[in-house]
Amino acid sequence: MGEIKEMLVNMIQTGVLPVVLLIVRLIVPVLTFYVVWRSYTSFRKGQRRRSPVIMLADHNAKVKFPILYWENSIGRSKSCDVVLEADQLVSRDHAVLMRREEGWLVCDTGSKTGVFVNGKKVEDKKRVEVGDDITIGATTLTLLRSDKSEEQKRRMFRGFSREAASPAKLMFVATLVHLLMTLQMSLAGGQFSVTPFIPFLMTTVIGWSLYIYIIGIQKRVNFEIETVAYLLSGIGILLMSSYDETLHTSYVQIAAMVIGIVILNFLIWFMGDLERVEKFKMAIGIGAIVLFILNLVLGRTVNGSRNWIFIGSFSIQPSEFIKIAFIFFGASTLDKLQTEKNITQFLIFSGICMAFLFIMKDFGTALIFFAAFLIIAFMRSGSIRTIILVIAAALIGIVLILRFKPHVANRFESWGHIWEAGIRDDGGFQQTRMLTYLASGGLLGVGLGEGYFAGKGDIGPIFAAENDLVFGFLCEEQGLLLGLVIVIAIAMFTLYARSDVTRSRSTFFSIVSCAAAGLLLFQASLNVFGATDIIPFTGVTLPFISAGGSSMMSVWGMLAFLKAADERTYAVRRQTRKQAREEEKTRIEREEEAIKQKIRQGKEQATREQEWFVQGQVRG
Amino acid sequence: MRTTGKRSIVLYIALFIFVGGLAWFFVSLYMNGSMWAMQPYNRHISLTAMGKITDRNGNILAESKEGARVYSESEDVRKALLHTIGDNNGSIGTSVQATMHSKLSGYNFITGSSKTMFNSFGNDIKLTIDTDVSLAAYYALGSHRGAAIMYNYKTGDILAKVSQPTFDPSNPPEDILENDYYKGAYVDRVLSSSFTPGSIFKIVTLAAAMDKWPDSWAEKEFTCEGSVMIGGAEITCMGVHGVQNAQQALGNSCNVYFSQLAVEIGADALQKKAVELGFNKTLSFQGIDTAKSSVDLTQADSHNLGWSGIGQYTDLANPYHMMTLMGAIATDGSYVQPKLTNSMDLLGSLNAGSNRYMNSQQAEQLRTAMRTVVSDYYGDSFFPADMQISAKTGTAEVGSDEGDTCWIVGFSNNPNTPYAFAVVVEEGESALQTAGSVAVEMLQAAISE
Repeated sequence: MGEIKEMLVNMIQTGVLPVVLLIVRLIVPVLTFYVVWRSYTSFRKGQRRRSPVIMLADHNAKVKFPILYWENSIGRSKSCDVVLEADQLVSRDHAVLMRREEGWLVCDTGSKTGVFVNGKKVEDKKRVEVGDDITIGATTLTLLRSDKSEEQKRRMFRGFSREAASPAKLMFVATLVHLLMTLQMSLAGGQFSVTPFIPFLMTTVIGWSLYIYIIGIQKRVNFEIETVAYLLSGIGILLMSSYDETLHTSYVQIAAMVIGIVILNFLIWFMGDLERVEKFKMAIGIGAIVLFILNLVLGRTVNGSRNWIFIGSFSIQPSEFIKIAFIFFGASTLDKLQTEKNITQFLIFSGICMAFLFIMKDFGTALIFFAAFLIIAFMRSGSIRTIILVIAAALIGIVLILRFKPHVANRFESWGHIWEAGIRDDGGFQQTRMLTYLASGGLLGVGLGEGYFAGKGDIGPIFAAENDLVFGFLCEEQGLLLGLVIVIAIAMFTLYARSDVTRSRSTFFSIVSCAAAGLLLFQASLNVFGATDIIPFTGVTLPFISAGGSSMMSVWGMLAFLKAADERTYAVRRQTRKQAREEEKTRIEREEEAIKQKIRQGKEQATREQEWFVQGQVRG
Repeated sequence: MRTTGKRSIVLYIALFIFVGGLAWFFVSLYMNGSMWAMQPYNRHISLTAMGKITDRNGNILAESKEGARVYSESEDVRKALLHTIGDNNGSIGTSVQATMHSKLSGYNFITGSSKTMFNSFGNDIKLTIDTDVSLAAYYALGSHRGAAIMYNYKTGDILAKVSQPTFDPSNPPEDILENDYYKGAYVDRVLSSSFTPGSIFKIVTLAAAMDKWPDSWAEKEFTCEGSVMIGGAEITCMGVHGVQNAQQALGNSCNVYFSQLAVEIGADALQKKAVELGFNKTLSFQGIDTAKSSVDLTQADSHNLGWSGIGQYTDLANPYHMMTLMGAIATDGSYVQPKLTNSMDLLGSLNAGSNRYMNSQQAEQLRTAMRTVVSDYYGDSFFPADMQISAKTGTAEVGSDEGDTCWIVGFSNNPNTPYAFAVVVEEGESALQTAGSVAVEMLQAAISE
C-alpha cells in the first residue's frame, strides 16, 4: 500500500505533462515506422508484374525467348538474357535488344559476325518492329508480340496489406510525426513557446507543395520515396530547432531541402532521355574534376579538411555534389557496357576523385566514394578478382594514411578503448559523451529540447553534435527507437533499388540506383557505427538528419537515381481510383475470358503448345 | 539486365552487415548502457536527485532533499557507514552509491535517465544493514584502525560493515589527503584490504591436517617447549604447553604444534587446502571484486612453511573472506552469499559460482573444535549468554616498529542468533580483548533488538 501511495504522490509531483510527452515520444517512432514500412510495401505493390511484352522466336529450333527487360543482351554467354548456346557463329556478347522512346532497337555490341535485320547489316543500332527478322550468327529470331495468356509470375512478397496506401495518407501521417515533434519542442522546459511551429509550418508547406506538384501536376503515381525523404528531412529540421534556438540551423536545412527538391526534379527530368544522359556524361565527369580543382584553389580548411568553399556568407561542400556526378559517370547503358567491356575509364576517373579527396584530407568522403566505386565496378564487371585487387590497394592506402596522418591514427588507437582512463576524456571524448547521452535517452529519449549533448541552457553542445555525432543527439532527445527507425529507413532505400534493378528502363538506371542506395546506406553506417565506436571512423553526415546544407541537397539529389530507376516515374500517369478499379475489373474479366477460351479450344491446342514450348529451352 | 540484377546482391550483403552492426550496437547498449550513462560528466544524473537509502529498520541513511544529498542525522552513523553508503564525491568505489548508482539514479534501459515517474519510482534502496549493530562496531573499534563485518549466515544479510579510519561525508575533513590519520580512509578495509592473519590461520592448517589424516588428526601430538627449531631457525611460542593434541593446541594457539604440523602436511597440501578454502581467489560481492586472501608457498623452505602454518610468512587474509569461511563452517561447509540489499540481482547470483569450501563433516569437526576453544579456553562468559560461540583469535606480527594485528573470527551456534563475524584491529593490545570486544558489542547489539 505504501508503495502505491508513494507512486501516486510521485506522479503528482512529477506532473502529468512528462508522462504525456513520454507517450508522444513513443508514438513518434511508431508512426515513423508505419510511414517507412507502408511506403515500401506500397512501392512494391505498384510495380509492374514481370510479364514479357514481346518475344523472340527461333522458328528453326522452335524456341521462344520471352523478352522481360527494357535492355536485353543476346549472345552465346550464359550471362546473357537471350542465350544462343548452340550457335558457334554467335559472339559471347553479340547484341542488345532495347526499348527506347521510339520503340525497340537492336544494337550490335562489337560482334564478329554482325547483326542483320531483315537481311540488312546493322551499323551501330537499328529500329525493329513486330514481325522483323533479326539474324545473329546462324540464328534468325523473329520479333513477336507476347502471348497475353502466358502464365504470369506471381510475386512472392506482397507486404502485410493487399492494398497500396494512398500517398496522401502517408504524407498526412508524416506531417503528424512532425507535429508531434514540434509539440515536444514547444513544451520544452515546461513553458509553451510558439516559435517551434515556424519550421514545422515551413516544412509542411514544402512537403505538400512537392506532393501537389508530383501527384497533381506531373500526375505521377509513385510518391513513396519522396514521402520518406520528406518525413526524414522534417525530423532532421525539427531536431535542429532543439540544437539552435535561433532556428538559424533549421532555416538553412529548410532552404537546402527546397534546393534539394529542385535538384531532384531537375535530375529526374534530365534522366528522362538516355541519349541526353550519354551525351552529357563526359561533360559531367569533367565538371566534377573542375569542381574539385576549384575546391582546392578556393577552398578553406575547416576542422582539418579542405572541403569547403565560401561564397559570401554561404559555404558549400563541393564533394557532396561530386558524389552525384561520380555515380552518373560510373553507370552505363547495356549496349555501352558490352561494347566497352573494361572499366578502365571509370577506374581512372575514380582514382582522380580519390586523389583530390586525399589532398583535401576528407577521408570520410573518400571512403564513401570508394564504397560507391565498389558497387558500380562490381555491377558493371561482375569480376570478383578486380574487386579484391581494388580492396587490397585500398587497404594499402589506409595503412599509408595511418602512417602519415596522425589524427586518423589516433582515432584508430582509441578504437575499442574509449572507456579506459586517460582515453575517456581525451581521444575518446566525443564517442564517450555520445554514448553516455545516447544511453541516458533510453529507448524513448528525454524529450526534444531537454538533452545536454547538443547543449541546453548555459551548457554548450559537444563538438559535432549536430552533424557527425547527430545520432547521439537524436537518440538522447527522441530515443533509440526513432534513431533505429531512421537508419533503417535509410537502409531500406537499398530494397527499393534492388527491386527496381531488372525493372528499370536501362542498366544505367539499375546501376545508378543501386550505387545511390548503397552510398546512402554506407554513409549512414559510417556515421552511426563510427560515432558509437563500433568502427574507427568519424566525420560523415547522417543523410537527411545531420545539419549541413550541402549534405541535405546532395541526398535529395541522390534520390533522383532511385526515382529514375522506377519505370513508373516516366511511364505511368495517375488514374483516379474509380478508373483503376474499373480497369482491374476488365482485366480480370479478360483473363477469365481467356481461360474459358483456352478450355474451349480443347486438347488439340494443348498438344500443339506442348510441342512448341520445348521444356527447358524457354528462358526467363 | 538479368546479370546486372544478380550482381545487385551486393546490396544485400551490405544490408546484412549493416543490420549485424545495429544488432551488435543494440546488445552492447543493453549490456553496458548503465555504465555508459553513469559517467561523472553526465548532466542527466546528479546525487541531488537520487533515491533514498535506508537500513533494515527503515532508518534513512542517505536521501536527496532540496537539491542536496543528505546523510543520517547522526554524525556517528554517518562515519560508521561511510564505506557502505559512500560520499558526495564518489570517493569510495565499493560503496552502494557507487556500485548501485544506476538504480539510485533511476536509470533503466527503456526510459534511460529521463525525468518521469517511471524513473523516480523504484530507485530507493533498502539495505540489510542494522544501524545499531554497525554503530556498536564503530564505537568498539574506537580510534583503532581496522575492519569489522557481521552477517546472518542463514539469510546472507549483512548487519554491520565498518571500516576505520573513516570520515564524515557531510563534513569531509579538509586535510584528508595530508593528515596521516586519514590514510586509507577512502578504502573499505572489509572488502578491499588483506591483513596478516596470525593464529586464525591455524583453522586452515587444522583443516589441511583433517584432509591428510582423516582418522588420526585429533590424536596427533607434539611437545611444546616454548620454541622449536625448524629448517635451521627458531619458531617461538607464547607459552610452554607441553604435550599437545590438536584440540589443546588450537585452544592454546600453540605455535610449536601448528608449525610442525604444517611441515608434516607439506607445502603442496597446505597450499591446496588454502585454495579450496577460498585463498588466492577474488570473491565477488554485489558486483565488486574483493581483495584476495593469499597463501604462496611456492618459494617457501621448511622454516617459512612452519611460519606460514601459523599465519605468518606471506599469508594474508581478507575480513570479508574470513567471514564467509565462518559462515561455511557454521553450516554445512558452503556459505550463503552475503548481501547488502534484497533486490533481485540475476547476474550477481549467476556469477556467484560454488560457495562450497569443505564437506559438511569437516565443517562439523571444525565447528566443534572452535566451540571447544571458546567454552574451554576463552570462556563463554566473555560472549553474550546462550550464544554458543565458536571462535578463534589471532595476533599477527607485522613488523618490529608496529603493534600486532589482532583478529577474531567466529560465529554463534545458537539457531536463533545465526551470526558469523570477522574483526581485525591494527595495533591492538590483545586479540581477545581488542578484537573480541568488537565482536561482543556487535553480537550484543544484534540481540538487543
